[in-house]
Amino acid sequence: MKAVCWMGTSNIQVHTVPDPEIVNPHDAILRITRTAICGSDLHLYDGYIPTMEAGDILGHEFMGIVEEVGPEVTNLKRGDRVVVPFTISCGNCFFCRRDLWSLCDNTNPNAQVAETMYGYSGSALFGYSHIYGGYAGGQAQYVRVPFANVGPIKIENDLPDEKVLFLSDIYPTGYMGAENANIKPGDTVAVWGCGPVGLFAIASAYMLGAERVIAIDRFPERLKLARDYCGATTIDYTDNDVVVVEALRDLTGGIGPDSCIDAVGMEAHSNTLVGMYDKVKQSVMLETDRPFVLRQAFQAIRKGGTLSIPGVYGGALDKINFGAAFGKGIKMAMGQTHMHKYMAPLLKSVEEGKIDPSFLISHRIGIEEVPDMYKIWRDKKDQVTKIVIDPWQDRLGTPLAV
Amino acid sequence: MPEHVSRLDTSLPVFPAGSGKGAVFSPLPQDTKDGKMRAHAVQTILSDPHTLYSLWRDVTAAPRWMEYVVSTEVKSPTITHWVMGNPDHPEGPRVEYDTEIYEDVPGERIAWRSLDPTVHEAGEVIFSPGPGDRGTVVVLQETMAVPGSKLGVAVAGLTKRTPRQIVIEDLRHFKQMVEAGEIPNVTRDPHGPRGIIGGFKERLYGENNPTPPGTGVAQ
Repeated sequence: MKAVCWMGTSNIQVHTVPDPEIVNPHDAILRITRTAICGSDLHLYDGYIPTMEAGDILGHEFMGIVEEVGPEVTNLKRGDRVVVPFTISCGNCFFCRRDLWSLCDNTNPNAQVAETMYGYSGSALFGYSHIYGGYAGGQAQYVRVPFANVGPIKIENDLPDEKVLFLSDIYPTGYMGAENANIKPGDTVAVWGCGPVGLFAIASAYMLGAERVIAIDRFPERLKLARDYCGATTIDYTDNDVVVVEALRDLTGGIGPDSCIDAVGMEAHSNTLVGMYDKVKQSVMLETDRPFVLRQAFQAIRKGGTLSIPGVYGGALDKINFGAAFGKGIKMAMGQTHMHKYMAPLLKSVEEGKIDPSFLISHRIGIEEVPDMYKIWRDKKDQVTKIVIDPWQDRLGTPLAV
Repeated sequence: MPEHVSRLDTSLPVFPAGSGKGAVFSPLPQDTKDGKMRAHAVQTILSDPHTLYSLWRDVTAAPRWMEYVVSTEVKSPTITHWVMGNPDHPEGPRVEYDTEIYEDVPGERIAWRSLDPTVHEAGEVIFSPGPGDRGTVVVLQETMAVPGSKLGVAVAGLTKRTPRQIVIEDLRHFKQMVEAGEIPNVTRDPHGPRGIIGGFKERLYGENNPTPPGTGVAQ
């Protein structure tokens, strides 16, 4: 099969690799019909997530048709159409039973590596480095899905792939980001980052009763989506007259946002001196993350507010004003998304027409175009908001030779 | 007891996770000053002590979830013959020896030791009810003489896993078998060309350590 492989920092190639096979009794093999590039894949592309190996197959947002199931898979059969969550969970451990699915005890074959770095290991993820399990990802034509009784959700309607594909990660991730923000009626929520997760967090914040959402980004096309589709008030932080913390104070009656959502994570961009300091330190590996958004959110958030962090962080942070967080008595919630908890209710929201998740798709490509698109998205060119891949097309409109 | 076998300290310290309140934590011994390596692992497993005891006591199933066990043969109710090595390398080195279970309390404890004077290995596993509805706290501890013994040399030559890590992984695999019904395995996942650095990292991250098959489908 053809698969998108990470071959080193800023080096993505499409290779022909062996097809996956059933290894364990709860495995299923999926023929992938649609897959996508996630903003968090850019952290891999840029080399900021440790434990990547040349040859690793990327991709954790995918859906498809069940091709084959292992002997103990009872709720799926060949031909079923499913969306697969990006986290892999056993469904039966202490954490899965408490709806903390992304903290599953039993799915990471490389738990030793995660324990060394983090103390304990969370669940494995598809196509997201070896510290997260080393599973082959879904930017490919086929994928092995472990614990197929637990993860994949069947799509039994005629909605097109593009409307349900994002149940695999970004819609639940944005939704959990909003749910973690502890939103009460009348609240104002500030969202940093209007990429896919940020946009879904904005939409979800309104679903959860927010009075107003303020969105912060620098790209006109994203800010436009945040305004026009999601109904946010937008702040362009690169506007020379804008000081973000002051802007948020002015917009919230001098109180500050009740909740802040960091949908940016470890590779925050900043046009300030401190932002350049981070960039330099990270590039010489003195710092794993550029926590600029966290610093700003600690300052901006109202006293006693809630900070929710769906953006990905990888390691030790630098120059964090923890005194601000303590002094204002804020609450924080974060982590990989507990996917299995959200997929069914969010599928229902799509079926009922409350949201059309395909609104943010900007590019539709074939598999051979993927390496170029990683670069284009990383360099923030061509107004990319979301890239969807048909792995059976070389270039869009050109069927693969058999 | 044979002279060469160092009997484990059978009075295992009470863990903070146990029932004791107001107790002083005393760590399990793990010094290597006497040339012996001691390792321990602790897991809470969602099952009852008797079920877990029975699964552990079935030594014929050990190759399915213990690392570097090629095969076992039951010679008597308490004596087992072990063939140790890398099951993925049929031509690789092997160490064979007998162990004897010298303490066997159903639902509570199993302790064993090597009967071979050239292989220093002894261990015990203890099952105790966990707090609330959390199942069973399982403590595994083993002592081996490394690196002088045949076992130590064989293990060191086969893997980047330290013997201590093998003890941790064995108990993890046991938990995965019980709770998840299988041992997660990526050793047969497809990938593109690794190249020199990728191949080095593959070893570094332990992916050429053999994953025991668990309930896996035969290759």
